[in-house]
Amino acid sequence: MNRFWSILFFSVPILAIVTFLLTQFAIWPFEQVWFGESFSDAGKTIDGIFNGIHLLCAAILLGTVMTIGWIIWKFDHRRYQSNSKAAYFSHNTTLELIWTAIPAVILIALAFVQMNAWSENKMERPMTSVNGTMVEAPPTVLVKAKQFGWEFYYPGADGILETEDDLYIENLMVVPERTDIVMQLESRDVIHSFFVSDLRLKQDVVPGMVQFAWFNANRTGDLQILCTELCGFGHYKMNAKLRIVPQAEYEQWLAELQNEYYP
Amino acid sequence: MLAENRCVRLSFPNVIQLVNLSKSVLVLAFCMAFTGCDKSPAPAFRLNDVEILKQEKGSLPQGEHFAASYGEEINAVLTSLFGTPEEPKFPYLDGDEDEAHEFVNFDDLKWAAGRVHSDRDGRPISGLYREHCSHCHGITGDGAGPTAAFLNPYPRDFRLSKFKFKSTPLRRSPTDHDLELILRNGIPGTAMPSFRTLPDDEIKALIHYVKYLTMRGQLERLLISELSSLEGEPLMDMSFAPDGDLVAALGKLESDEDSDDEQEEPSEDQEAFEEQLDYILNELLLEFVLPRWSETEDSVTEVPPVPDSIAASHPDHAALVDKGREVFYAKGNCAQCHGDTAMGDGQTASYDDWTNDWIKSAGVDPTNRKTYKDFTDAGALKPRVIRPRNLRLPIYRGGGLPQNLYLRILNGIEGTPMPAGATLTEDEIWALVAYVKWLPYEHADKVKPKMVNNKAIAR
Repeated sequence: MNRFWSILFFSVPILAIVTFLLTQFAIWPFEQVWFGESFSDAGKTIDGIFNGIHLLCAAILLGTVMTIGWIIWKFDHRRYQSNSKAAYFSHNTTLELIWTAIPAVILIALAFVQMNAWSENKMERPMTSVNGTMVEAPPTVLVKAKQFGWEFYYPGADGILETEDDLYIENLMVVPERTDIVMQLESRDVIHSFFVSDLRLKQDVVPGMVQFAWFNANRTGDLQILCTELCGFGHYKMNAKLRIVPQAEYEQWLAELQNEYYP
Repeated sequence: MLAENRCVRLSFPNVIQLVNLSKSVLVLAFCMAFTGCDKSPAPAFRLNDVEILKQEKGSLPQGEHFAASYGEEINAVLTSLFGTPEEPKFPYLDGDEDEAHEFVNFDDLKWAAGRVHSDRDGRPISGLYREHCSHCHGITGDGAGPTAAFLNPYPRDFRLSKFKFKSTPLRRSPTDHDLELILRNGIPGTAMPSFRTLPDDEIKALIHYVKYLTMRGQLERLLISELSSLEGEPLMDMSFAPDGDLVAALGKLESDEDSDDEQEEPSEDQEAFEEQLDYILNELLLEFVLPRWSETEDSVTEVPPVPDSIAASHPDHAALVDKGREVFYAKGNCAQCHGDTAMGDGQTASYDDWTNDWIKSAGVDPTNRKTYKDFTDAGALKPRVIRPRNLRLPIYRGGGLPQNLYLRILNGIEGTPMPAGATLTEDEIWALVAYVKWLPYEHADKVKPKMVNNKAIAR
């Protein structure tokens, strides 16, 4: 049992570093731990903030655990010879101020760093020009979540949602690339959550509330839309496909949807 | 003092002992849990007890039942023809494989049946139906899976061989394409989800399995309806069928008839078996069950081109909607069920065919639980009224395009009180479609117009 506890404590930072390296370079068995490359520029900003916080946490973890490990190693009662008695003190104001102030500074800094990203992703809806004045862009697609599927409504010829020429399709959302897409999210029954991991986009869908979410996909591809709020027995099958296509293909698809209910 | 303390204290060795003890108990419980029970038995098709009960009530004196052996015989016949949920079969009668392929694809059937199983890449090897469908529609396709009772409307019971949303007229089976559309799009307004994220070949396999379950269930119903006329005779004495294979037995019977060899006189039981075999396979299955699914594409109703004025932006749209409103209240008589406000409140006491099938039995009052308790015990779901659609909600179960609504109005909806609009002309149907599409966006005070001589006049 010699050195057992100190080695145990040292194994934590060592394992943490090994795991971190394996995941960062996608080495077995951690090939697919992180999300793939984001399909939106906003997602890349979010990834940057995430990685920053992650590294910060890693540094704090390593510092703390290695300090504890070193203390246990050094002051092993079988080896450490000292005649001095252990000192007793009830508190240390300076120390407490330091360990309160440093995290506070870090948290406030984090709050400032993420402010722009939060505002862009959740508060400042993309604008569009109508008759020369800039207004909030109207929703491109109306998403209605239900047990257990996603309904997508596109405005028909009149360009306005919730009129009689709306186009409807279930579990498939097609959007053009490099365009601001505003979604109007509503729920038909219980709380759902709209999640596209490849866009770093997640928004709870609450019955009785109308919410908006938006993204701008930077390349084409087939992504998965998942429900990330346990919504009932069929929650596991509540997924849909998000297809990002070039603008021309999108217009063609929309025209097909107009002519045939079932594409 | 010291002694007391020692008794009470949970000393370190004691804790270790306790941990060891509980560990061994845990290991023991674990072993018992896993060795005690074998693999759970493979799911089997469930006998249509509701239909049996219905026939008993219809033909036997109060409280009497058919012999239990009939249930076994029906199971034996169906297993011989259609196999089990693990090993599905499909009878091809003339030994002509192509003819059976017209109805179902055997590979697809095998793929959709069985236990849920996939390879290392996550591609399913078997069990598609059990993975995606059975928890609502049931292993047997009886619409009574574990989650069925929580859904409104109830999941479809395939065994009645009736399908609502299809391009074919009443009493004709849907085409494969119709079933594919339902699977791909789901049914808005119901619990049927869209399976659009499944690959095409998996959807195709599921369609074939649904058709297979439908034909099996329909033959089962026909066999049960035979029971009352048997008067104690066996439905089918399986001991005469070599290896329990009825198709082979029929093939042998027919080839024996063709050859004029001298044969020993068959016994009376043998003759009865041959007669029943011929009747069940040739008349019930070949003449009744299968033809419904044969060349369904030929009976598809053609939808004429959609008139331009159905678009709200078209100048003639208002006139078309007005005409539709008139048909709705007068000639079409739609308001009788859908209500004067078109909110689906015209009548609220009808049942669909799946419920009517058994609640029409003697003595059943669908509003009084005591009178139908034996049916729910047999597996029937609690009867619920079918409500006419609220046309002021833009939710269309069979699809919301004008073409879809045209088919619903012209052909009616099978299994429901919605009749076929046989007396309506093409123009009147398009006018109705325009009106129905317009209803959710129309002001609710613009309801029933004043009628003079069956003509609507402006208020």
